[in-house]
Amino acid sequence: MFAIEVFTKNSFKDSRGKHILAYINLIGVKDVKKVNYCSLYIIEGNLLLNEVKMIASCLLSDKITENYTITKCDIKDSCFNDVYVSKAMIEVLYKKGVTDTVSSSVIKAVKDLGINKEIEVKTGSRYYLNGKLSKAVLDNVACNLLANTLIQEYKIKSIK
Amino acid sequence: MRPVSNCNIVEILDLSDKQLLSLSKRNVLSLSLMEMKVVQSYFKKLKRNPTDVEIETIAQTWSEHCKHKTLTGVIEYTQINKGIKIKKVYNNLLKETIFKATVELNKKWCLSVFKDNAGVIEFDSKNGVAFKVETHNHPCALEPYGGSATGVGGVIRDILGVGLGAKPLANTDVFCFGNPNTKVSKVPKGIHHPVRIAKGVVSGVRDYGNKMGIPTVNGAVYFDNGYVANPLVYCGTVGIIPKSKIKKNVIPGDLILVVGGRTGRDGIHGATFSSINLDQNSDVSAVQIGNPIVEKKILDAMLVVRNLNLYRAVTDCGAGGLSSAIGELGEKTGAIVYLDKVPLKYRGLYPWEIWISEAQERMVFAVPPKNRKKIVEIFKKEDVEAVFIGQFTYDKKLVLKYNNDTVTNMDMSFLHDGIPKPIRRAEYEIKEEKLQRTVKMTSSDLLKALKEALKDLNVCSREWIIRQYDHEVLGQTIVKPLQGNNIEVSGPGDAAVIFPYAVVKGTKKGIVLSNGLNPSYGKINTYKMASSAIEEALRNAVCVGGNIEKLAILDNFCWGNPNKPEILGSLVCSANACYDMSKAFEIPFISGKDSLHNEYSIRGKKFSIPPVLLISAVGIIDNAENSITMPFKSKGNKIYILGITRNELGGSVFSKIKNIKNGIVPDVYPKDSSKIMKGIYKAIKKGLIESCHDASEGGLAVAISEMSFASGYGVKINIDAIKTMGNMSVTEILFSESNGRFVVEVEPKNENKFKEIFKGSIFSEVGYVTDNNFVIFESQKEKIKFKEKLVNLLNVWKNTINW
Repeated sequence: MFAIEVFTKNSFKDSRGKHILAYINLIGVKDVKKVNYCSLYIIEGNLLLNEVKMIASCLLSDKITENYTITKCDIKDSCFNDVYVSKAMIEVLYKKGVTDTVSSSVIKAVKDLGINKEIEVKTGSRYYLNGKLSKAVLDNVACNLLANTLIQEYKIKSIK
Repeated sequence: MRPVSNCNIVEILDLSDKQLLSLSKRNVLSLSLMEMKVVQSYFKKLKRNPTDVEIETIAQTWSEHCKHKTLTGVIEYTQINKGIKIKKVYNNLLKETIFKATVELNKKWCLSVFKDNAGVIEFDSKNGVAFKVETHNHPCALEPYGGSATGVGGVIRDILGVGLGAKPLANTDVFCFGNPNTKVSKVPKGIHHPVRIAKGVVSGVRDYGNKMGIPTVNGAVYFDNGYVANPLVYCGTVGIIPKSKIKKNVIPGDLILVVGGRTGRDGIHGATFSSINLDQNSDVSAVQIGNPIVEKKILDAMLVVRNLNLYRAVTDCGAGGLSSAIGELGEKTGAIVYLDKVPLKYRGLYPWEIWISEAQERMVFAVPPKNRKKIVEIFKKEDVEAVFIGQFTYDKKLVLKYNNDTVTNMDMSFLHDGIPKPIRRAEYEIKEEKLQRTVKMTSSDLLKALKEALKDLNVCSREWIIRQYDHEVLGQTIVKPLQGNNIEVSGPGDAAVIFPYAVVKGTKKGIVLSNGLNPSYGKINTYKMASSAIEEALRNAVCVGGNIEKLAILDNFCWGNPNKPEILGSLVCSANACYDMSKAFEIPFISGKDSLHNEYSIRGKKFSIPPVLLISAVGIIDNAENSITMPFKSKGNKIYILGITRNELGGSVFSKIKNIKNGIVPDVYPKDSSKIMKGIYKAIKKGLIESCHDASEGGLAVAISEMSFASGYGVKINIDAIKTMGNMSVTEILFSESNGRFVVEVEPKNENKFKEIFKGSIFSEVGYVTDNNFVIFESQKEKIKFKEKLVNLLNVWKNTINW
């Protein structure tokens, strides 16, 4: 299993992260000071590292504005690779059974790249947060803003 | 893994009333006791218990969403006006009000009304224009992004599924949200914050509409705390269809082809769910997720297949899924369907789930057997999955098979006509409206009030939303939602005009799209709300050059719980307004939709939403070249106000800002208004009007300011010259929201011809366009003069919504 995280290069504005921060402030949570955003793809299947690199660089990221990291892991919970220095990270993924249209596009595009292997893809987001982050604040932000628990599940990871 | 192959027998033959009701509730059937008893006696006649597939099919077919059983049921209505009671019994409210007006008007250019997925009017000798507006409220409350995206996808499929399929040209979207400034702590548990709902809904509309390559050209947003837990989301699509493709014709023996997305457990019970009030424990599987890429491929492939005449009928899978689509197409013939042939997203679905799933992006076709190979080939070439799942039959029965077992065998006539008609009580008391105490303000207070009105959530710029939508794709939008004379400026256009030159080669004609709604009037008087909404939609269309003699409207009712007599009463009252106005303006209704049961409970207490009637208008302009926009065009031009200003501050933006009690809600005077509207069409055609804008929310002060700051030209207005009914203060004149009024700009050289056209109507010259940067309002009588820089007014107006 590979986890690919795609994030904005330092020299460019992480507009999605800034946008989320503004949104968090708008609903009255002032304790969060900074947010960085990564899109997340968890790919299962018998892929070689080189193939995953090709998928990340040719398909999932924009070479000019974005970078990516690849983490190889056995179970999903250990697929972490702290892209940003932060106090906490919130991960949001679709629940099983919910139609994930981005995932089906990725599966199709991987075949189009010439990698003819059966794979499964889960797509989601990771938000790296800084500020005065109590558990209550993180829970509030995660379930009232970042994840719709009806169709998505979230995980909070505090980083010391 | 769940058992796959079988279905269950539902024991109902021996159930008591109480048990019947609890069965309905337990299985989310949303059937009343009366309905359950009819089902019971039907199966008693058949001497067997139904299967779960049969019960689910009945529940879905008889759902409020599909049968509109409230509006077509029997209603005993009592209206109380000043202590006098009037009683009337309606056997079918829709047929006796809205539909009746259309029948009586009998316009030859209405090609298909109230029977297909959309209404169709004539565009030219060869083509028709199809228009449909749907609601998607409940899904949007739960999952705003997915909910609104599938709302857009669904209404586009309605257009694809009208006749033999129309080509979509443009989308329109109207929302009602809770106040975005609501404190997080004030939002009930389990309900999303209004900003989250608004952002999610807008993103969903954007991502689906833009990806389909269909421009979103028109819309409206209304904010009120009544919609915090139950937002309203209306999605509409207009399309163009050859006249020869308007009729469907299913012939027994035709094969049933399902095309597009695969079937999963998405949106199970969506149709019956819409008859249930929202609460914190709402059903999870009611959420659907859209995939515009799949639908775009269907659209492209389908139009090819249509033009080759390879099928005889088509409809979309909306609420109720295959059950509803095949049930409708096979109503007069009968159908046999092999549920195991339906392509699935994953294994493990029960037969009943396959049959009623509301998985998105699916269409059903009736294909003559001789075309079976060719049609599948073309879909395959476009990468669209198409699978034959059954056949239309002769026996007027619905038969469903699963692995060779018969899981359903029912009469179509029972399914479609067996539903019992309940009798409901409705009562409406027309509230007495009193004139407010005269409001008089000083010059500086008036300016402050103008700014507050411009800043108000229901007046301010929607640019943040509009700019996310692609309103240009296809290159046919000639009057756009934001209008101005330079890039910085973005005034609120009244209506959109589509010039479909790429589809209809050589045409000069245009299609105008507009809407009207005003829930704040409905809190006081739903009759006036409905009539004002109709007039507003017409006014908006007229402002850009629409011809009210070639205009049709759609009704969309979103109401609270119709089991409460006072709520149903307010609905009956507004339906009556629809009939009266339709007749008086001679504007036919061609299609409509209702979403009732918009009620939610918070800690056990139930609340109904403030009722909303959205009126959407579509019309044909003979020469699209003549269309005009609302910003002023050049200095020295004269400004006229057409129509009379009455003392009507009831339900207005001003009375909300200033917390004014009382006030008369604006009424509609169709005779005067329609004369003015016809005059404007004539004058625009002759090139006598440079710009035109209607006075609605916020009144004349707001309308004139908008025209000014959108153009970059200043304006000087003599308030004393404005024609009023009786004595009114300057404040009342500027902020009254009387219907029937237009602000128009006329070049001095055209003034005589212009006045000639409006002879017999009430109008007056009230000022002129200047080249300085000020909006100036003046009254000698009250010694009032206030002025403000355009850019300041613009900024006040622009910055309220910026998330």
